Amino acid sequence: MSTAVSPAPAQAPQPEDGSAQSRSRLGQLPAALLRALLTQRIVLLLVLLLVIVVTMTTLSSNNYLTAPYDLSYMSSALISAVPLVMLGLAELLVITSGRGGIDLSVGAIVSLTSMVFGFAYGEWGWPLWPAILLAAVFGGLCGAVNGFLIAYVGYPALITTLATYYAFSSIAIVINDQQPISTAPIQEFFSTARSIEVPVGDGLPIPLGTLTFLVPVAIVVWVLLNRTTFGRRLYGIGTNDVAAQWAGIDVRRTRFSAYVLAGVISGLVAVVTVAQFASARPDAGVTGTGMALPAITIAVLGGVAITGGIGRVAGVVLATLLVVWLNAGILLAVPGNAGSQYQLLALGVVLVFAALLNGLTNRKYGRTG
Amino acid sequence: MSSSTLTPAGGAPAGEGEHTAQARGRVLPFPITGQEIVLIVVIVALWIALWLGTPAFLTGGSIVPLLVAMAPVALIGIGMTVIIITGGIDVSVASMVMVCAVVVAKAMVDSGISLPVAVLLSMVLGGVLGLVNGVLIAYGRVHAIIITFGTANLFKFVGLRVFGGSTVNGIPDTLDVFGRGAAGRTLGIPHSFLLMLVIAALAWYYLRHTPSGRHLYAIGGDADAARLAGVKVQRRVLSAYVLTGLLTGLAACFVIAQGTSTLAPNVGAGMELSAIAAVVIGGTSIMGGRGSVLGTVLGALLVQTVASGVTQLGWRSQLASLFIGIFILIAVGADLLRQRARRTA
Repeated sequence: MSTAVSPAPAQAPQPEDGSAQSRSRLGQLPAALLRALLTQRIVLLLVLLLVIVVTMTTLSSNNYLTAPYDLSYMSSALISAVPLVMLGLAELLVITSGRGGIDLSVGAIVSLTSMVFGFAYGEWGWPLWPAILLAAVFGGLCGAVNGFLIAYVGYPALITTLATYYAFSSIAIVINDQQPISTAPIQEFFSTARSIEVPVGDGLPIPLGTLTFLVPVAIVVWVLLNRTTFGRRLYGIGTNDVAAQWAGIDVRRTRFSAYVLAGVISGLVAVVTVAQFASARPDAGVTGTGMALPAITIAVLGGVAITGGIGRVAGVVLATLLVVWLNAGILLAVPGNAGSQYQLLALGVVLVFAALLNGLTNRKYGRTG
Repeated sequence: MSSSTLTPAGGAPAGEGEHTAQARGRVLPFPITGQEIVLIVVIVALWIALWLGTPAFLTGGSIVPLLVAMAPVALIGIGMTVIIITGGIDVSVASMVMVCAVVVAKAMVDSGISLPVAVLLSMVLGGVLGLVNGVLIAYGRVHAIIITFGTANLFKFVGLRVFGGSTVNGIPDTLDVFGRGAAGRTLGIPHSFLLMLVIAALAWYYLRHTPSGRHLYAIGGDADAARLAGVKVQRRVLSAYVLTGLLTGLAACFVIAQGTSTLAPNVGAGMELSAIAAVVIGGTSIMGGRGSVLGTVLGALLVQTVASGVTQLGWRSQLASLFIGIFILIAVGADLLRQRARRTA
């Protein structure tokens, strides 16, 4: 297999030893770069990110865009990255858990938990922190329904989460008779959650959600995956759950926990969404294409293997930045309604490209992250 | 392995000797599975319950719209069954419906194309979109769900560009043959439903009694083993997606005919999930290798019965999704139990 990789090293004269070695090392440099680009998703994403930012700022400085594409625009665009990164991380957890792991219901959990949070904070007059805690716990319960059916009963993840997607989104709409909740406390919640000026340099408008939700969640998930036994077990069962079982890992419990965590994260996204819309909407997570499909796209683009066992937090974060800044640029380059349509095109092309690249990489170098 | 028993199936199955029929009975499962019998019982029970609840249910004015509404979902479901049997999935069908519907609607408004041309255009367009999916999945060797998530976005982009930011208005009644009106019925039975039944019967025969149909099951069971046994895996997988594209194109014509003279950009939204729900409720295994078209048609009928039942009882229409979700879980749970019983037996 590897003979087909690069014809160049085969042409390198093999009998000569001393000089040939250095020459072949030089000759291998492009191959090594290509290899890094293809096998290290982080490297590829960084390069693509650089390409997008440089292209957009060049276009901007030549006045091709309707508004300047600068640091302050880029940082205010981060507001749309908050739910994307968080749900991308939720998908990272469940997809990594293996055996066809996927969660189509995250958007529906967001809708349902939005309503629950809206009731608690907006109608029943709960203080903010208990209400947020309730949202997380409730999201976790929804995730536990998925996790129980998938890990303990043995349902296929795709079908289970399709069914719970239907169920949760239906309950979310029926629970308050299709009406959104936007009472005074929730309106005030909106104003406190608006972007605040963070005194960095000229005072970049960093959206508050990135600091209060995105960064903490990303750090917690990173620590869970890389610094705890739960993380090692999760990668273990995702890579080979039979082997993990024989190694004494409680496969069911680990997989169950992954879905519960995805639910908790979705519950927190619900709080963010309520803050962004200034109302708890019954269709918050399922309008349009919904929230699940972009989240899965982000996870796959970030190098999470759909077969399980492979995936990194940094990949998901970089993939989100790529999509968010690309989308922000498209909005400036293509004004009006067409802008959001070209965002669809960009997302589709990027996803198909990333998936084909994954396939190519697997065949060329074996299974890698 | 079964070519000796399958070759005679090319002829008329009815006029064959005792010997072949026996041999085939040993190779093929019984034509109707437990899941399908349960589905028929559930549907009959629901119809009786609805008839008791709202006496208007079992009248032509209520059943005909139900059959008309289930036709496009069942049609896409037939294609989806074939794909899922090979172990794949296609979540881009809703976007395909949108592209086909808007192009055909525009062509009818702008150049007044005739009925055969409209159907042909829609099916060819659907087939091309299916080909895109098929080539990427079969030859790119990438998991189907990822590719079709991507192409769903691409197709949606194409569809929205054709819409051009507004609705298509004043669609002529060329396609009323498939509609819910009087022009769409013969002897009170809607044409779209009849056409769907004919296609379902053809697909049933193809999957059950032709070598290439059996190959699809073999691929879903174990693609590597199928390849070693001489199955042209990539070509078969490609054909499954093209077939779904063709059927989706036809379904788009049904959708246009059922709507008003205005086509909005949200046409077809959510159809991929209803089609997958129909397939899964019908007992087709999402892991591939097992499933039947009959189950899918019954599944689509059940889903549509629930949807129209909820509206007829005067409940909030969104409650239907809750019931569909529960039905999916029950159907898959029953399938799991049967598999477990088969393994221990």
